[in-house]
Amino acid sequence: MLPPQPQPRRGPRGDVVAEPLLEVKGLSVDYEVGAGTFHALSDVSLELPAGHVVGIVGETGCGKSTLAHAIPRLLREPPARIRSGEVRFRGMDLLTLPKWKLPLVRGTGISMVFQEPINSLNPAFRVFDQLAEAVRIRKMRESGQAPGLVPGSEGFDYSKREGPKPADALTRPLLPSRPEARKGFSRVLHRVDFREDALDYLRLVRINDPETILDLYPHELSGGMRQRIMIAMALSEKPSLLIADEPTSALDITIQAQVLTLMKELIEEIRTSILFISHDLGVIAEMADDVGVMYAGHLVEFGPVDDVYEHPRHPYTKALLRSAPNQYKDDGPLPSLPGSVPNLSRLPSGCSFHPRCPLAKPVCSDDPGPVLEVQKGTAAGHEAACYFSEEVAGLP
Amino acid sequence: MALTARSSSTRTEADANRQLSRVLAWIGQLRRGSRGLYRVLRANPLTLVGFALVVLLTLTAVALVIVPPISAAFGHPMSLTPYDPNALLPCPTVGNQSFCAQPPSLEHFFGTDRAGRDVFSRVLTALPLDLAIGFLIAGFALLTGGGLGLIAGFWDRPGTIGAAVSLTIMRITDVFLAFPSLVLALAIAASLGRGTIPSIIAILLTWWPYYVRLTRGEVLAVKHQPYVTAARAAGVAEWRILFRHVLRNIAEPLVVYFTMDVGTVLVVFSTISFIGIGVPPNVPEWGNMIQAYSDYLLIFPWVVAFPGLAIFVTVLAFSLLGDGLRDILDPRSRRALSQAETTTRAPAAAATAAGASG
Repeated sequence: MLPPQPQPRRGPRGDVVAEPLLEVKGLSVDYEVGAGTFHALSDVSLELPAGHVVGIVGETGCGKSTLAHAIPRLLREPPARIRSGEVRFRGMDLLTLPKWKLPLVRGTGISMVFQEPINSLNPAFRVFDQLAEAVRIRKMRESGQAPGLVPGSEGFDYSKREGPKPADALTRPLLPSRPEARKGFSRVLHRVDFREDALDYLRLVRINDPETILDLYPHELSGGMRQRIMIAMALSEKPSLLIADEPTSALDITIQAQVLTLMKELIEEIRTSILFISHDLGVIAEMADDVGVMYAGHLVEFGPVDDVYEHPRHPYTKALLRSAPNQYKDDGPLPSLPGSVPNLSRLPSGCSFHPRCPLAKPVCSDDPGPVLEVQKGTAAGHEAACYFSEEVAGLP
Repeated sequence: MALTARSSSTRTEADANRQLSRVLAWIGQLRRGSRGLYRVLRANPLTLVGFALVVLLTLTAVALVIVPPISAAFGHPMSLTPYDPNALLPCPTVGNQSFCAQPPSLEHFFGTDRAGRDVFSRVLTALPLDLAIGFLIAGFALLTGGGLGLIAGFWDRPGTIGAAVSLTIMRITDVFLAFPSLVLALAIAASLGRGTIPSIIAILLTWWPYYVRLTRGEVLAVKHQPYVTAARAAGVAEWRILFRHVLRNIAEPLVVYFTMDVGTVLVVFSTISFIGIGVPPNVPEWGNMIQAYSDYLLIFPWVVAFPGLAIFVTVLAFSLLGDGLRDILDPRSRRALSQAETTTRAPAAAATAAGASG
């Protein structure tokens, strides 16, 4: 008997469109600490189609990392609390999934590269142990010896440089473990069986002399090497979605360039979907297909990266782009935005940007604030949350 | 038919190969570990002393236990002690006065006590009992206290069953910690009556709370480290995070505390014997021996001094070893020590590789 066919997803004009790999709807996250309740994310919605790289940009404290951690539910709860919203990953709502099922989604489904390469590798284990653990998790799930809600992909190997079609991620079925495959203790995979795989992934992230590196402890490696090993670990699970949370922020500028070049090459090679989080507009322009701009926990603009950068439709995006030093042409001080980021525990009413906005009118402080709306006269999928988005182009 | 047979045979062959590679990897790990031990011992002479003493004490204790029955089974009963520890040796007499307590001599290394028993034999006979008690009590406390501490530290998310469980564990621990453990152990030992087993039970019951506190604190410090979150993000199951990623990183303080604790347990056990509610007087036990002759400390000091010295040396040995274990268990200082000794192949190669690619 065939499983029930899901209803195809309809676009705004009633045509069938592809189901996005990740769909965040109205996600709100609070931090409840002694000083009060901080609204780190307020009503954030975004879609990530399979095979796309979506960048999230914003200044420090705007909720980028909270978003990155909230999607695979890695937030510390408490102090964090997910107030409302939906995180649909391949049709599953991760926020209503029972807690014990979450590890089954992580890794092979959603994998993550963190900000701090210094502390993200376990100091007690050699590189090999950590890499092999990731490979083991994927192989166990692929072979059905361990349950996984999102089985790893079959039939291709990133390290062999054969890219899958981007849409493969959508057609892979959700499989539980096969009980008969779990029988027989000796056939349970052990990490020493994965030396070759681990070597392959080290070569994939362009590490010289992987044989030696494999037997070293993390503290014997440089920051750039550690970050590459983190990337190798994340990739070795062949995730459908890779969340890169400021992967280059803690690295110095030359290493940063190397890691970015590497990630760009890897994106070309493996065509995984990536949510790329950064505070650096240039990095996002380089890496991403779509970009989301965040301010004080709100997603204020979202759209194709070229279009957002050339025709910003939100005054904050405009100001952010203007203050980027790459547009600085020795004609006085670097332009900056007057005022400061609002306290997340006491957000202004209405649009949280209105106290600093050059276009602000009385309507801007009325609750509820503006919501993301499709912008006319721009590229498809360009949305902004501003009542006066038409006037943004006229700003200096 | 033939096909099935062949496929099953290749499968067993692959299994055998895999098993073999696992055994080899395990041996490799053991070799690496022992090499690290050797380097630490060479770099740190005090640890070497502690290690040598612990090995010597343990081997002697094992020999003392197994040699008599084995030699008896082969028809040549043999004892490692020069005299029967409870035999009353004939005392030399001068006139009508007998002098049973003789000072140390070549005949009696540690002298004899007032009843004419050989102190050396008694100290030696007590060794297996005292060591076993130290290991048993500290080991039991490590397992129970450590286990409870792991639970209390790891499952403490407010508003869940885990939080209630860990709260209960911590409050019970606090109740035990409110009493000085020695006083509590004495009270329990006194109420259970005199004997070796009751005094062991008394210490067992009072010893675990310290491990709960220690383990819980370490787990709390480690469980929010970025590498634990990274492991979670990689899809590692919770129990595996606890036993592999968290436990391995807190093992170092636990093992160090355990080794030093073996000595402390010995002292406490001897104290209970010393007060007179522990081991019966005829059983050779170090604390017991000190207690029996403490009144004669100034007249025949050797009767008290040598059991005391035995306790001192054992406690010192375990403390020194525990200190050194800290270095062995921490990969950072282990490599640092080995680099101080000799420039090994791996870090040098790593430096080249890092320079070339990083």
